[in-house]
Amino acid sequence: MSSGSNGARRIASLLRSSKLDSGVCRSCQETLGRRNYASAATTSATESTPATPEVSSAAPPFPYTINAGVVLSRPPQVTRDLEPFEKAFYFYQKRLNERLALPFTKYFYFKRGTPADEDWKKKIQERRTPARDIGKYNAYASDSWNDELLLGAKEAEPEHQVEMLVQDAESTANATSQDTSKKEEIPRPFSRVTEADKKGDHKSLNRLLSRTLYLLVQSKEGYWKFPSTPVEAKETLREAAERTLSQTAGVNMNTWMVGYHPFGHQVYKNRKAHVDKATGAENHGEKTFFLKSRIMAGQADLSANKDLKDFKWLSKDEIAKYVLPQYYSNIKNMLADR
Amino acid sequence: MAAREPSRHLARALPRAFAPSARPQAFIGRRNASDEAPTRRLSDQLDELESASSLTSKVSDSAAKSFDPVTRAKSRRAQLPRSRYQFRSPKYDRGPLHPHQPPAPSDPSSRLFVPGPFSLPRTEQTYNSTIASDIMTLCYVHTPPGFKPPPKPRNRPLRGPRGGDVLRLLRKPIRFNNIPKIERITIHSYVKQAAQENSSWIHVAGIAIQAISNMRVETFKSKSSVATWSIAPGRDTVAVKAELQGENMHHFLGKLIDVVLPRIKDWQGVKGSSGDSSGNITFGLEPEQVALFPEIEVNYDMYPPKMIPGCHITLHTTAKADKDARLLLSAMGIPFYGKIVQ
Repeated sequence: MSSGSNGARRIASLLRSSKLDSGVCRSCQETLGRRNYASAATTSATESTPATPEVSSAAPPFPYTINAGVVLSRPPQVTRDLEPFEKAFYFYQKRLNERLALPFTKYFYFKRGTPADEDWKKKIQERRTPARDIGKYNAYASDSWNDELLLGAKEAEPEHQVEMLVQDAESTANATSQDTSKKEEIPRPFSRVTEADKKGDHKSLNRLLSRTLYLLVQSKEGYWKFPSTPVEAKETLREAAERTLSQTAGVNMNTWMVGYHPFGHQVYKNRKAHVDKATGAENHGEKTFFLKSRIMAGQADLSANKDLKDFKWLSKDEIAKYVLPQYYSNIKNMLADR
Repeated sequence: MAAREPSRHLARALPRAFAPSARPQAFIGRRNASDEAPTRRLSDQLDELESASSLTSKVSDSAAKSFDPVTRAKSRRAQLPRSRYQFRSPKYDRGPLHPHQPPAPSDPSSRLFVPGPFSLPRTEQTYNSTIASDIMTLCYVHTPPGFKPPPKPRNRPLRGPRGGDVLRLLRKPIRFNNIPKIERITIHSYVKQAAQENSSWIHVAGIAIQAISNMRVETFKSKSSVATWSIAPGRDTVAVKAELQGENMHHFLGKLIDVVLPRIKDWQGVKGSSGDSSGNITFGLEPEQVALFPEIEVNYDMYPPKMIPGCHITLHTTAKADKDARLLLSAMGIPFYGKIVQ
């Protein structure tokens, strides 16, 4: 912090009669008003009455509407896609490992004369290496220097490696099983691209499995934002956030609020202050404090809500396309990269 | 001294050409790069760089298909000369002044080089994408603006640390730069039969721990004397230990949490009182539970019957208190039961 703002703060504190700041929230004012033992002795001599939050009641009402927002997210379900460099690097390290490691101790894994041993002999003849996912490569031959992949080779692709492992397991199961009449089928892993991805269904929680998805709602006016409502009197931020979630997106969700503190905020200032004609109170805009929440099960349901039109589950880069640029610049740092 | 210095008046009286100059006027052969007029701009140098990664650049199909490094090397009539000096890392450390120094362990020519990593482990990705940020949000402690900690009394020496002889670690508030994470995992197995019966027990234990950890194990001799187990200090090798870090650690943790622990019958979880009060949690696995690891299961028959060892697994975290370590581990998927001791 620069010295200038420090000085300004000090002057402001001198001008103010009480040490309570109208700019901080109620619970923080209580914390600040609480005196510690050391200062209690010195202040009790000078002033007889302790500082009470009466001062804040005399001050004008807070000129912003305070909103509680909920950032409801679904964490990534699968690992991320590797970069081309990462694929090449990991593959190269695997072949390098084959060159440097001690030979595979076959006798420990395969008893002589068993079907598994016969199957092993056949496979090692084919691929020249005990590793099943690095393609045909002999690490101990004179041309083992030729360990780099040529252009367009599929060996470094994770899908290809998984396929190789599954095929190897299948052929082993077929070669060693007693019953030769039926073929063994080893289940492939599910696709990383789901139906919802193909259809472009933005309401499904099964889309973009490797990214974090966030719940965004669309207001009547057509603006996309995180669900948020004004905090009511005598309500903590967390309670307000829970109420917001059940009011906007229904109760058909199993969610977990992460902590009691907001992890981001957004300020919206009105061009002109709205003045309440009856009381003369000014409203400069709204400040929204976002609480983090995770969805475990269920789905959002806006049917009970009259104020909102639509909802979507979006990743961080997609959010940038839907919300206003000003809103995005306020929220982008609290969203996870992946 | 004064006589040798040229007079100020003399210098003023002489014409400018003869006046002694601060800079030497003689021809200087030396030229600096900064003397040159800027003929090339920085952008010219940037143009020399390739705009795209070599991984994405296009090569014609015919050139790609015809390229075969092995046949090309074999078709050469004379082989390329080997480089004169084939570097070999020295076998023994002869001190820092010896001319033949070993290369860095990250160099593949080093004797200490270990290849890897081979993958990006799932548990690591989950930690980075989900768990770390959640823990930071959960553990946030708010200090209101304008809050100052109570002032220290002047001229008073710092008070002595609280507590007993053993000083606990100082727990600092959890911020973005000290979110607890798993640092390393130790798998330790003490086989008392290795002293009572024969050494085959320790060999099997070592092989089993190596198989589940993907690391070479260290062996240890007995330190204490247990008369009922017929163990004397320093006589027999009775324990094996593997220390896992990085990729091995994350893969082991993933297998432990998602494959082994869910298959243990009537397992309640890790005891809530486990922990060394500085963020390291230990729990044990019985021999039949160790046998559930996929690496042992795949050739279970090759291990001598009843010789698969049990083991203790210590999860070392960077947390300074057990409470934080338990928060991290339960987020990773390890259940705790019983009375939670902080």
